[in-house]
Amino acid sequence: MILSIDTSCDETAAAVVLGRRVLSNVVYSQVLLHQKWGGVVPSIAKRAHEERIDFVINATIKKILSQKNLFTSKLASRLSSGSVAIRSSSSDEGSLHRNFFDYIEAIAVTVGPGLAPALEVGIKKAKELAEKFNKKIISVNHLEGHIYSPFVQNSKGNPKIDFHFPYLVLTVSGGHTSLVIFEDHLKYKVIGETIDDAAGEALDKAAKLLGLGYPGGPVIERLAKEVDNRDFYHFPRPMVSSDNLNFSFSGLKTSFYYFLKKMDEKEKLKKIKELASSFQQAVFETLIIKTEKAIKKTGIKNLALVGGVSANFYLRKLFRNLAKKYNGQVLFPSFKYLCGDNAAMIGVVASFKAQKNLFVSDIKNFDRIPRMSL
Amino acid sequence: MKIIKLDDKNVIEKTVEVLQQGGLVVFPSDTVYGLLVDASNEKAVKKLIAFKNRPPGKPISVFSDWDFLYDLVLVSEKQKELLKNLLPGPFTVVLKSKGKVCPLLESEKKTLGVRIPDYQPVNQLIKKIKKPVTATSANLSGKSPHYSIESLLKQLPESKKKLIDLIVDAGKLKRNKPSTVIDLVEENIKILRQGDIVFTQVDTYLSRSEKGTKKIAQFILGKLLKKHVKKPLIFIIEGDLGVGKTVFVKGMGEFLGIKGIVSPTFVVMYEYEVEKSKVDKLIHLDLYNVEEKEEFEYLKIEKYLVPGNLLAIEWGEKVGEIFDLLKEKGEIVYVKMSYENEKERVIEVSF
Repeated sequence: MILSIDTSCDETAAAVVLGRRVLSNVVYSQVLLHQKWGGVVPSIAKRAHEERIDFVINATIKKILSQKNLFTSKLASRLSSGSVAIRSSSSDEGSLHRNFFDYIEAIAVTVGPGLAPALEVGIKKAKELAEKFNKKIISVNHLEGHIYSPFVQNSKGNPKIDFHFPYLVLTVSGGHTSLVIFEDHLKYKVIGETIDDAAGEALDKAAKLLGLGYPGGPVIERLAKEVDNRDFYHFPRPMVSSDNLNFSFSGLKTSFYYFLKKMDEKEKLKKIKELASSFQQAVFETLIIKTEKAIKKTGIKNLALVGGVSANFYLRKLFRNLAKKYNGQVLFPSFKYLCGDNAAMIGVVASFKAQKNLFVSDIKNFDRIPRMSL
Repeated sequence: MKIIKLDDKNVIEKTVEVLQQGGLVVFPSDTVYGLLVDASNEKAVKKLIAFKNRPPGKPISVFSDWDFLYDLVLVSEKQKELLKNLLPGPFTVVLKSKGKVCPLLESEKKTLGVRIPDYQPVNQLIKKIKKPVTATSANLSGKSPHYSIESLLKQLPESKKKLIDLIVDAGKLKRNKPSTVIDLVEENIKILRQGDIVFTQVDTYLSRSEKGTKKIAQFILGKLLKKHVKKPLIFIIEGDLGVGKTVFVKGMGEFLGIKGIVSPTFVVMYEYEVEKSKVDKLIHLDLYNVEEKEEFEYLKIEKYLVPGNLLAIEWGEKVGEIFDLLKEKGEIVYVKMSYENEKERVIEVSF
């Protein structure tokens, strides 16, 4: 069993996994359904991981012991007085922890990419636990986590998706946009990435230009759906004619900005759905064109779409169509929560690393790498 | 607990009557089954919160009507136009509350979520009752919403069922997603004003391309690094969306031998190690998504204000809150970028 921690960005998250099975998974905002700030929590405030990390790890441990499924109940019964300890007062927390950590092989933690002060919180906690319970540490790249997200299973071992390497993986989120060949376990080759903005960021910014607040991705998706995702204005598809597989969204941003500037304010608001849909179409079509180019270049037909924007149903549909065209398979994160940031996928990557004995050798000097690449 | 059908002749009157008496009603909507109580009745709201096991502090949105929407929340003229185009529809708009509903429904920041659904029965109900009614999904906190009364009742323990006064059954609802939240609350952050900084020199450049912007950035950085500077250099970069702020920082990065700089908007801050230069580290910040002054605390910016570091801050005009700190610990360079036209940019550098 591995305890994993991810504090790379928005979510304070912890999980316990066994191989690909997620036995317990906690993301802070899910626990408290917390929207204290009203509407949407501002981006950095969300990253107050320091205040939450202990709470989240405790919740993860308690959750695994309170589960009723066969797999974990066996474990719970083995942890002497485990189930009693859950209900009893916090004075038993220490012994509960000790029992729990007897069964933990290693502690996995995200080292990057991400916001430095946020990453630091997770790493500090991992080091602290490793020392206290004499455990090894496994360092995981956040992007590896996303790449493994279609293969993550629930505690019962579902879904049962086998690995058929190689895969062409498109990661699309607020912070990342990249095309990667997933060659074999823990072997990746980046063949394209954004040179300026991430696709999710471009959508957020377009939403803000339309006066729709942050985060804009889901709002744009909903508005676009209301006009059947049609393209009304034909904004440029950035870099689609260039031969490489890199993305750039800054030019599209400029042209959208200028288009709105020339538009009458009333007209702009009247056409808000059409504008949202057209912008989304420009971004998504760029993603599809580049992915298709990558299919042709590499001959790889098995696709995976991962990261926050993979929650968008319309993009999934476009991706399915693309895979169909080339008789390929297409994968998405196996559960909805795996689209966003979470520690479950980090733990699953760590399981494969543990098999290969890839542990951190120098824990003392182990540090975050905010601009880590694959 | 009483169950009536949505096609009952007097369904609206009966529902209004229960709500007026502070009752809790399960009612269909354009998305999922909702839990309705009179939003101005504190006792009824408390009953709702107890029913949902909802943690305190999480706001609950309300159904409204055009007639009294502007009494409930603060709406600017521009936002009025926007709302007219969004509503009725599957959206919850979050705005500053005017305090007309029970405060338990508002967020800590005194904002309120409002819905005008595209759904006749709810619209008729609101028209009749003439006040806001809560619009939260009929499920316990943390559980999925329900599209049929059957599945709702299956989930509920007897103790919860007792709290419900009336159920209006419309059969199986179409499986529409719950409403999407649009946060329209203006940000609350101190913007740097022109008079806040006094500069000795102002240079103006014209860039005709991305390459040009990078070259200008490199020229300026090269010039400044020749001078003996004891403090960390802080580039505050201001300019509209798409004007080339990230390009400018990429230019500086290339001068220092850093490749692969991307926009840090989402992450807020990226740092890059620099080799063989007077600069040790480039700290690339982007304050675009920063909305509250409290957020600066989490960035721990003081830690980076040491000699040898170069800070480049996009949307730098938003540093108002921490400007005194920056001025004291660092050497400020103010870069103002603006559109001359779609291709050309004016870059004004003050230091």
